[in-house]
Amino acid sequence: MSKFKKGGKKGIPGVNTSALPDIIFMLLFFFMVATTMKEVEMQVDITKPVADQALPIENKDMVDFIYIGFPIDLQAGTQPRIQLDDRLANSYLDVGAWKRMKEREGLTAFDIVTSLKVDKGVGMRIVSDVKEELRNIDALKINYSANQTD
Amino acid sequence: MARREVGEINAGSMADIAFLLLIFFLVTTTMEVDAGIARQLPLKLDTPPPENLEFNERNVLKILANSQDDLLVEDKFIEIGDLEEVVRDFYTANTSGRDTDPTMPLYNRVNLGDCVNQINGITTRLEENPDDMLLKSEMNKWTIKKELCESLPTQSYMEIHKSAVIQLKNQSGTSYGLYIQIHNTIQRVVNELRVLKCDEMGWGNYFDLKPDMNEEDAVVMDRLKILVPERIIESKIES
Repeated sequence: MSKFKKGGKKGIPGVNTSALPDIIFMLLFFFMVATTMKEVEMQVDITKPVADQALPIENKDMVDFIYIGFPIDLQAGTQPRIQLDDRLANSYLDVGAWKRMKEREGLTAFDIVTSLKVDKGVGMRIVSDVKEELRNIDALKINYSANQTD
Repeated sequence: MARREVGEINAGSMADIAFLLLIFFLVTTTMEVDAGIARQLPLKLDTPPPENLEFNERNVLKILANSQDDLLVEDKFIEIGDLEEVVRDFYTANTSGRDTDPTMPLYNRVNLGDCVNQINGITTRLEENPDDMLLKSEMNKWTIKKELCESLPTQSYMEIHKSAVIQLKNQSGTSYGLYIQIHNTIQRVVNELRVLKCDEMGWGNYFDLKPDMNEEDAVVMDRLKILVPERIIESKIES
């Protein structure tokens, strides 16, 4: 009946996906810029305390991290433990040797800040012991890690 | 000669490659921003300081936190929220130089002459023990004070008593959360007073200072540390 008869089969044309890679790349670049590499695989559970006066750490390469919290693996016990790099330390006495090992070209333990990432439920005993160890090797610059807001 | 057509590159799998990269970055990175309160531990001395050091009660702000997370400040139980007021009072009660509050540290005036005398005294002692770390840091401090005096029109400034300290004592069961709250409170007061000092001296905005990158800012920061010092003493927890 219609004057303009469409020839051939009638169907919905496929969605044009040629811009899909661009969109994905955009997402990729966003995440590359907005995030940082994970330093280590966490073996202790840490809920950081909140402190509104905390300042962001500018140069992360110049910082060593010590983690103190309750072990995730229940076989490691229920007492707070110290994590140095990827493993749990046997006692706070290991901290000095570890910090010495982390010294880099032209920098002594004194120059490199030690950031303490400690769970807010941990008792001060272990923190005090770690600080005393750091003092023994003159690694005096420390930073108490805290969240700026909840 | 017939030109050979260059075939188009199939970009169909480009999205897959990009997805792969995206997922890789999602897994290996974190959003977390590292922030914290910076502190410097006291230097380990070869010779322990004399046991019975004379110090005035009024120059020490005693903060005790016990294993039940109770807070005892100057022998009175207080809530953590009230600590800020006490710390601020400790710093500002006698700023005028008059003895307004006899329980808080006095301020006294430091002038150019004092600085020169001190520097001369330390120089002679340094000649005897050139490696004494403590003397070196004293020397450094007085040099900053001297430069500060020279930069001011009155050639002098008000300084809190030199042995005014905040003494923080914990027990082994004190939670780290409370400890950080105490440090945060002290830092808040110190920052607040430094902001005021910065304005008063016309040194610009305190929070814009970048002492690690800028020589001038480092000088300002050194001077602020003299004008509003944060001296916190913590003792090792004994078993």
